[in-house]
Amino acid sequence: MAIKYEQKDTILHVENLSVAYGEKVIISNVNFTEKDTVRADKAQGQTIAFVGRSGRGKSTLFRALTGLEAPTTGMVLIPDYEKKIVNGQQPAKKVKEGDVGFVDQKYTLFRHKTIYQSLKFACRKTSLSDAEKEEKIKQYLHDWGLDSCKNQYPNELSGGQRQRTAILEQLLSSGYYMVLDEPFSGLDVGNIQNVKDAFWLINDSNELNTIIFSTHDIDLAVELADSLYVLGYGKNEKGNLVQTGTVLKHFDLKEMGLAWHDGLTKDHLDLVKEVKEIMLAS
Amino acid sequence: MLKKWFRPFEAVDVKQRLTITAVWVVLFAGYWVIASQGSKHLFPTPAQVWAGMQSLYAEGLVVHIASSLGLCLQAAAISLLISLAVVYLSPLPAIKPIAVFLSRLRYLPLTGITFYLTILVTNARSMQVWVLVVFMSLYFITSLLGVLKDIPVDEINHARSLKCSRWEILWEVVIKGRLDYVLDVLRQNLAIIWMMLVTVESILVAAGGLGVLIKNSDKFANHGRIVALQIIILLIGLLLDWVLQVTRKGLFRYSTY
Repeated sequence: MAIKYEQKDTILHVENLSVAYGEKVIISNVNFTEKDTVRADKAQGQTIAFVGRSGRGKSTLFRALTGLEAPTTGMVLIPDYEKKIVNGQQPAKKVKEGDVGFVDQKYTLFRHKTIYQSLKFACRKTSLSDAEKEEKIKQYLHDWGLDSCKNQYPNELSGGQRQRTAILEQLLSSGYYMVLDEPFSGLDVGNIQNVKDAFWLINDSNELNTIIFSTHDIDLAVELADSLYVLGYGKNEKGNLVQTGTVLKHFDLKEMGLAWHDGLTKDHLDLVKEVKEIMLAS
Repeated sequence: MLKKWFRPFEAVDVKQRLTITAVWVVLFAGYWVIASQGSKHLFPTPAQVWAGMQSLYAEGLVVHIASSLGLCLQAAAISLLISLAVVYLSPLPAIKPIAVFLSRLRYLPLTGITFYLTILVTNARSMQVWVLVVFMSLYFITSLLGVLKDIPVDEINHARSLKCSRWEILWEVVIKGRLDYVLDVLRQNLAIIWMMLVTVESILVAAGGLGVLIKNSDKFANHGRIVALQIIILLIGLLLDWVLQVTRKGLFRYSTY
């Protein structure tokens, strides 16, 4: 049964985005818009999945979404929450380094900082007072089960603890947006569950929280996402594949009644099949 | 058991490892005793080396060791400061060519450099220090540039995603994040400098040092003293190596290599 929801302001707008390294165009003509999803009964963040075969430009797209890579053409816009609402609209701004959190698949951390030092560093540029920062870090450490290892360095942490720390750093630093490049890659079943729990924790804590992730596990993408994009090589007029990544298909799982379910139903599995077919053809 | 010792990549337990080491020590000692027998012997006898050790001690070996260590540490401190300044600024495109050029200079021979240093410095002790500084710095710069080159781009991107400015990235990822590597670079390059002591200390005989002792012993073909000094130089070098290794692991808990 479809869950009721509303779509409000635009939270992410990508327009005619392309990235090229010299002559080599990696992605081109990427366009999509995501809106704030509102549910009556709970705070509901957004989870957006990108799937596609290797070399189709997922990582490049993510680097552009986080401002780590300057687009060759086009732009990535997010709301500028530091400005006041004008005519009922939140002014937008072009994304720049640090606006959107980025977690790579290795869950990179500062090797010379303990968890506590890393989190303190992550919120150094926020407008919170020192006491508020301290309180927030304390709360996060407790909620994410990192109390007992807050004085440990990355080399002393388990894989799960590293993941949670990397995600928390970005939450504290970047606000509402977080991009995770293949967060499930190479993880065992326990750590996959940890990351899934982290996603739900982020989604439930603020309706503006937006997770954007890529994965090769289509089942996981369909299970977790409320919006799913398939990235692949497009075709030219003659029907031949061009070696440039672009968005081939978008599935709005909210609209399809497939979002926010526990586990996979038959409809989910049908969608998995459809996504795989698109990927194989691209 | 013996078969295992000669099979590639075979894992042996601690007891066997100690046994293998003991066998090598016995073989080496045996060879030394045999090779030092007869009228035309290659090495001085253990007794001659021991006598050399005693005569060196009587001549103030400890003072000479202190002089050598003082020279080495003074030169190491100065060259580390110079090298770190050059390497930490090397991410600046304007400075990078200088850092790379200095690194290439390590192929220069010592003789030419000492000529120009003689003109520039006023006394022999400064000459000793600066010859070591010049050479140590070139090796330090080369090794430290290698450390910088090996920093994964993921670490830089991680810092960028946390709103770090370029200077903050330099401070957090390169300087603070690689402090432990500096100690390791010092440890590895100190061995080269320790080896250069003999040459450098011969510039100023009056200042003493292990280099002067070995040169004097060489002049009089006193083989017992020469081998004794080589053993002392080797042991002090190993001790310095160990101290730096322990310091690194003690100061930097996150340093796991």
